[in-house]
Amino acid sequence: MARILIVEDDDHIRTALRLMFEGEGFVVDDAPTGEIGVALFTRMASDVAIIDVMLPGMTGFETCQALREASDLPIVIVSARDDTVDVVLGLESGADDYVTKPFVPEELLARVKAHLRRRPEKSTNAFKLGELFVVPDEGVVRHSDGTELHLTSTEFRLLTDLASANGKVLSREDLLERVWGYDYFGDSRLVDVHIRRLRMKIEPDAANPMFLVTVRGAGYKLVL
Amino acid sequence: MRRRSLRLRLLVTFGLGSFILSSMFASLTYFGVQRLLVNNQQQTDLRQSYVNAALVRSTLYTSPPQLSNLLTSIQKATASIVLVQTHNQWLARSDASSTKDVSKGIIKLVNDGHPVQQTLNVNGQVIFVVGVPIPAVETQVFEVFPLANLEHTLRVLLLVLVLGALATSIIGMSGGLWVTRRAVRPLEEVSLAAALIADGALTTRLVVTQADREVQQLTESFNEMVSQLVQRLERDARFASDVSHELRSPLTTLATTASVLQQHRADLSPAGQESLDLLLADLSIFQSLVEDLLEMARSDAGAVPLVMESVEAIELLHQSVRSSARRHGLDEPVVEVDANVDDPLVRVDRRRFERVITNLLDNAHRYARGVIALRVTRTATQLFINVDDAGPGIPVDERDAVFERFFRGRAAHDRGIARGTGLGLALVRDHVRAFGGTIAVLESPEGGARFQIVLPIVEGGQE
Repeated sequence: MARILIVEDDDHIRTALRLMFEGEGFVVDDAPTGEIGVALFTRMASDVAIIDVMLPGMTGFETCQALREASDLPIVIVSARDDTVDVVLGLESGADDYVTKPFVPEELLARVKAHLRRRPEKSTNAFKLGELFVVPDEGVVRHSDGTELHLTSTEFRLLTDLASANGKVLSREDLLERVWGYDYFGDSRLVDVHIRRLRMKIEPDAANPMFLVTVRGAGYKLVL
Repeated sequence: MRRRSLRLRLLVTFGLGSFILSSMFASLTYFGVQRLLVNNQQQTDLRQSYVNAALVRSTLYTSPPQLSNLLTSIQKATASIVLVQTHNQWLARSDASSTKDVSKGIIKLVNDGHPVQQTLNVNGQVIFVVGVPIPAVETQVFEVFPLANLEHTLRVLLLVLVLGALATSIIGMSGGLWVTRRAVRPLEEVSLAAALIADGALTTRLVVTQADREVQQLTESFNEMVSQLVQRLERDARFASDVSHELRSPLTTLATTASVLQQHRADLSPAGQESLDLLLADLSIFQSLVEDLLEMARSDAGAVPLVMESVEAIELLHQSVRSSARRHGLDEPVVEVDANVDDPLVRVDRRRFERVITNLLDNAHRYARGVIALRVTRTATQLFINVDDAGPGIPVDERDAVFERFFRGRAAHDRGIARGTGLGLALVRDHVRAFGGTIAVLESPEGGARFQIVLPIVEGGQE
């Protein structure tokens, strides 16, 4: 029984979403503000969260950041605008995915379920990435001194999927299918922002990546 | 064409006008002066000839043999020729003169005792002849004055006047040219600016110069008009965008609530279920409409920047076709790539490109039982993506109109086809234009419609 946190200031939408997710068998915690949402999350340990970007007081981005600092749970943000600014800001603040109002409820449901279903299935052999050591079976990345490098589950999945391609180029669309787990032609910004975040963590110089390489017009590949 | 004719007309008017005026002035001057000069000369000559006739008479009385000397001295003094006739015999005359200069008519009149004066043209020489009878001694004195000097003066005057008239005409024409330029240039600027604005360069304004008041007024009112127009366009775009924005929240609630009802479908009566189906169907149209309106308002207002990237066109096309077809549950059409098409790069916004493909597939699905194939060819600089179907095709007179917003062709009226938003193809055209490309409707080899997208091929570029 999955536990979902819904942070949405519009009463009608919040109620409708609660009814829908309850109908699908979720246990729903809903909050009208970011502050209440964060408080609920620390008490309830939700499995997945939906956060509206436009919130009074603490913004959706800030709420997202607060949740991300505490947990790896999948976060879907709901943006009022399809602007690059909103979407990128949301993804930068730690969200795994986004939908735009007016969204199709079934699509939101499908995305949330896909995120929950997503568990490391294929096991790739452990591999070295510069001074980093990636162990897919344990789901961890370690520095050479044994300390752990923290990746979100989406980032980890992105890394291991690129590794399992054995140096082949994966297009953004391939990555959307493999990592996000639903075959919709999503927004390539979703991939780009996550790649950027991943580079910040694993590359010695994120501006000149040596492992996670962009292949112009085609996609990304991992150079081991 | 009009501009040229105005210019020509002004030039001709000014040139011709100044020419006519100056020639009229010149002719009046010439004939006036000629008359005055000739009259004066004749008066002088007449008086002179009477004096000379008196001299001849007194010489004939006193010492006739001196007559010849007298005539010579008169000729020297006045440059005229004196002929004296007594008893119908030529008595004496100046040197180098001829009686032929004096016509028989004059001689007869003078013989009859009448004094005569007459201007004659003899062999191209204008002469003034005066005949004075002296009845007391039955003598007639004729004096011939050449008017050659006067003629010369008049000829010089004529030359000066003609040259003056020509100069005036040229000055008039240059004046015309100047006026034309001054009057027509602002018009040209206005028409250029208007053309730019019509092409979408809405920031175009005329430069306000220190020119004539009328031109300045034209400039200012033109700029004012454009500003008003732009404001109005922006207001309209903002209004469409605001309306769509306001619809988002209630629409989200509606859609979510409807899906909750769908979850509890089994609890509903048959009438309730049927109503729910209608609700769901129209909600999805409503939702697409709002999405399309928002997308359109955004690109109208230029609010959302294009995210242009250089991408491998064929790969992007394959991906777009596959995901569009899958997402909408349509059959995936084949992509036939011409042998000479290697791996061209095009500069597009990926999300909008996918939208273009989706809308074209959707359109073909509605009106033509789906797309048969996407056929790709290229030239050195352009990539052609032909989206072909085997449907009824699109009548030639509707081929431009299908890209208009909310256009409904005869096909849609004739066969109750499932409603689209009416914005799909308009968005397609907006997006393709934003990529610097074009789209047109032709006929496919199967006799259906062919939507042909032409995109410029870029050699390089960066992500």
